[in-house]
Amino acid sequence: MKIPGMTLPASAAALALMISGCTGTAPTSEGDDGGTEQIRYLIEQPEDAETIELIEGDLATFEEQNPDIDVELEVMPLDSMRTVLQTQLRSGEGPDVFGWGSGPGYAGALAEAGLLYDLTAAYEEYDWPVYDFAKERVTSDGKLIGIPGDIETIGIFYNQNIFDELGIDQPENLSDLEAAAGRIDEAGITPFAISDKEGWQGGHLLSMALSSRIGPDGMDSLLAGETPWTSPDVVAALNTWDQFSSAGYLTEFPTALSYDDGNSLFYSGEAAILPTGSWLAPEIQNGVDFEVGYVPFPAEDGQGIFSGGLGSGPLVSANTANPEAAIKFLDYLMTPEHGRWTIENQSTIPPFPVDTEGVDTSPLFAQVVTDAAQIADGTGEFGYNIDVLTTDVFNDAMINGIQALLTDQKTAEEVAQDLETAFQAG
Amino acid sequence: MGAALQSTTPRVTRRAQTRLGIALIAPLMLLVAVFFLFPLGNAIYYSFVDFDGLNPTPPFVGLDNYTRMFADAEMWHALGNNVIWIVLGTAIPLVIGLVQALLLWNVRHAGIYYRLAFFLPYVLPQVAIGIVWGWIYNPVNGWVNKTLEALGLGGLATGWLGNPDTAFYAVMATAIWSITGFVLIIFLSALRNVDLEQMDASRLDGVNAGQQLRYIILPQIMPVFLMVTTVTLVGGFQVFDIIFIMTGGGPANATNVMGTYAYTSAFQLSQISYGTTLALLITALSIPCAVALNRLQRRLSLQGTGA
Repeated sequence: MKIPGMTLPASAAALALMISGCTGTAPTSEGDDGGTEQIRYLIEQPEDAETIELIEGDLATFEEQNPDIDVELEVMPLDSMRTVLQTQLRSGEGPDVFGWGSGPGYAGALAEAGLLYDLTAAYEEYDWPVYDFAKERVTSDGKLIGIPGDIETIGIFYNQNIFDELGIDQPENLSDLEAAAGRIDEAGITPFAISDKEGWQGGHLLSMALSSRIGPDGMDSLLAGETPWTSPDVVAALNTWDQFSSAGYLTEFPTALSYDDGNSLFYSGEAAILPTGSWLAPEIQNGVDFEVGYVPFPAEDGQGIFSGGLGSGPLVSANTANPEAAIKFLDYLMTPEHGRWTIENQSTIPPFPVDTEGVDTSPLFAQVVTDAAQIADGTGEFGYNIDVLTTDVFNDAMINGIQALLTDQKTAEEVAQDLETAFQAG
Repeated sequence: MGAALQSTTPRVTRRAQTRLGIALIAPLMLLVAVFFLFPLGNAIYYSFVDFDGLNPTPPFVGLDNYTRMFADAEMWHALGNNVIWIVLGTAIPLVIGLVQALLLWNVRHAGIYYRLAFFLPYVLPQVAIGIVWGWIYNPVNGWVNKTLEALGLGGLATGWLGNPDTAFYAVMATAIWSITGFVLIIFLSALRNVDLEQMDASRLDGVNAGQQLRYIILPQIMPVFLMVTTVTLVGGFQVFDIIFIMTGGGPANATNVMGTYAYTSAFQLSQISYGTTLALLITALSIPCAVALNRLQRRLSLQGTGA
């Protein structure tokens, strides 16, 4: 509300300035005078300084092994990256290597615009052993356009102590879960720690309920447009959460709770079940003093399946001045040693086989790694995390739709119709 | 009648004056061209193409973005929120600021401390205000719900920023809190110029406080009143930061205004052209209001009713 006289026209002007590429950029990477090639590596800003130090230490290891390459680490909040990354890449002043989403809505969109370096030849030369399903996510027009991100699963963490105290067994199906929620609620404990202030959590709620309900084939059919999003299964998956909400099984005011707030309710024992992704396993393990189980969201007739997804992986700019150095850096990130390092230090699961015997990690994360390995090697079924496979327009409709569902602004049928409309528009 | 008036200034001097005039305004015109006209022209261009942020040669789509905008239900919803913000976000700070200014007008002791306390929120960054008030409204640990529960009014507790019925007004209350200090300080300055002899004379004539406000004070501070109105009203058109920080336009678009909707369209949905078109509409709507209020303010000043 603080506006000097001419700021209104200036708002359009500012927007236009950003459009026209007048955003701040760093210098283009070039070889320096000492014969050392420099590459700029941009990643999403980690949550704490310790993680940055950890990554800088890892980069130092790479530089020791490759004294002719200097990697300059840059971090940027995700929202800022969304705003400026495309402009930087197009202007030729972007980073050489950067972490970005692996799905078609992210890396795929950049590849379509010709902003990514074609890594097909590099895959052949270095024989990177990326899992097939992960490789598909970074394939665009028959070209390999990046390294897939870390493997993530989405399921439900539950407080084993509360379950034991209340005599509740691990839910074997959706009815069991509902019955468990009822008993937890009767005991004065919030059954589900649900937060949806940011909105993206809503996509995960739908992903897990829908994946378990219709399985991978059903998800494939939906995402391919063969089944409409108004199908009874989508409505039923949405209704699952609507009914839990109506029954009082969710945290009060979930759309007012941030992700951290919701997680805190689980950590403190005020809520018994936390539906979220495997990335939280290390934090849960370190932050709670009770036993924690991690299972898929149940299906109506069985234990259900995890929703699987890929996080952000390294991509190379089409305009990089040092493609060879960038590819050498990717090769370092793909070594088995680095894979073990990420599991032990970053608690993330690389998209290629890693010998985890003797890996130093928590029991909960070890279970996550085992589950993810079944997904990765094709011995287990898995569903999908919808938002990495769909367009921004669809994700916007999903975020708003589930917030509307949780606040009784829309019915499941109306949300499903919005999803179908957005899917067709996207 | 046909004879033109001849200037008595020598031609050489007139040329020198012209050159000096051009030299003096050139820097300003350059700044206006670079930082206003060029971006504005650029924005207009983008509203006639379909730019997704990637394609360097976006296709020309004529008036498609405009026809889509006027048929877009969410645009009307966001614009409606802007109108509510303009009305309440202008009227409430003016009333509270004026009342505070009148109360502080004759405060002799510690007046500076009161002014400082009331003005401080205005100089705080909107980002900081948004974050702090987000904590205050937090449904679990925020002191709004805690206070309500302590007062036995726990039934009124809600997720202020997550409830579609309260989120917009909760954010607006924060914005009003932050701008009222500005209104207060401006009004206090204007009140210093009110004719005190007239006030004393009216008191002797038995005029009550309400009549003094209506017939003596308000007419004398009217140009300042209009200036403050212009600032807060135009702010209602372009409100963005506080909403973006506190709710991001949610939940389920409940707090969307034109600014947040334009941002979401342009930078989150990669519909740069549509977002630009929305931004141009904000500009087009706000300029006539600002110009009208400025003219009214100038006319009143020329009539001598100003402070």
